[in-house]
Amino acid sequence: MTWLLDAYSDSRTYGSLVYSLLGLPIGIFGFVVVVTGFALGLGLLITLIGIPILVATLLFVQAMAAMERRLAWSLLAASMPRRRSRPTSDGFFWRRLRDLVTGRQTWREAGFLLLRLPLGIVGFTIAAVILGLMFGGFAMPINVALGVESQIGSWTIDTVPESLFYLPISILFLLVGPRILLGWGQVSARIASSFLGVVEPAEMKKSVAETLARAGQADAFAVFDELQLRLGRGPFLTPTKVEATLLAMESSGVVRMNRSGSTITYSLNDGELSERR
Amino acid sequence: MDEFAEMAAREREATRIARRQWFWLHFAVFMTIQVFLVLIWWLSDVTYPWFIFPLFGWGVLIAAHAVYAFVVKTPEEIMIERDQHRSGGRQ
Repeated sequence: MTWLLDAYSDSRTYGSLVYSLLGLPIGIFGFVVVVTGFALGLGLLITLIGIPILVATLLFVQAMAAMERRLAWSLLAASMPRRRSRPTSDGFFWRRLRDLVTGRQTWREAGFLLLRLPLGIVGFTIAAVILGLMFGGFAMPINVALGVESQIGSWTIDTVPESLFYLPISILFLLVGPRILLGWGQVSARIASSFLGVVEPAEMKKSVAETLARAGQADAFAVFDELQLRLGRGPFLTPTKVEATLLAMESSGVVRMNRSGSTITYSLNDGELSERR
Repeated sequence: MDEFAEMAAREREATRIARRQWFWLHFAVFMTIQVFLVLIWWLSDVTYPWFIFPLFGWGVLIAAHAVYAFVVKTPEEIMIERDQHRSGGRQ
């Protein structure tokens, strides 16, 4: 019972309610713009007008994804990296355009915006049904007292005793409703994190290289701690990812592995280090 | 294997166990609902086996989930395993 009622004191329950209710209009808007933009852009590609339309659509995807990231982070406490994963977005216009088109992050964000419509429909339905069931049973006697009839199939509810039929269902949903909302919020947070809260391998390598350039020599624990300070904590930064990044950087010759007994420390190669300095 | 690699290995093992537990939970829900649907079919109209549609539709998702839980490895896991094979337990 306490487990059920604890959901009332969890701010994520109310965040989840707002996120679910916002999900339908945002989902429809994002889906319509993305599908129309891609269809129009690809269709008009032969006339060259399609290129700016496609670029505008991708920029829209980026902007919407930034908003979605903030929404999921603030309303659902979804884990998102502090730094945005666009390691090569500086430089000339064409380079930025190439990064926008070829970046995995852009297409993951576009996928999320398309998925947001069905998720938004499910979330909105859950929220609306739960709110209806939670308060409907209490509203029905008031309605009947005010002379408003309610209809359930062929059954017309027009007396106060009849109107009390829904009261136990509302009491039940007052208990379980917030917990269901919180659960749906956690599912939504995981989905948002897996699409939008990803640190690309290139960004990870860049952060590791910066850490090692500053520290000179560090073991994997120190690198991991520094990355947590830079990017934040979450499933996007795990010991396995750090270990794999260090291995990849070692095999590509960027990082040198120094072993002494069972301790392994890492440092940047001389060439890489002088380049950074 | 140094301490950090051990921690990473433990984290991978925990993730693997969690993935499998989620699969078995999904499978239990799937089986319960399918049995329930077959019962409804059996107790009502047995002329048309309509229960096969949710059985196959959801069955495809169950199969995909099983592949994800028992077969699929992340690129990081593959890279670490290859390195361990290459170094032959050097770490």
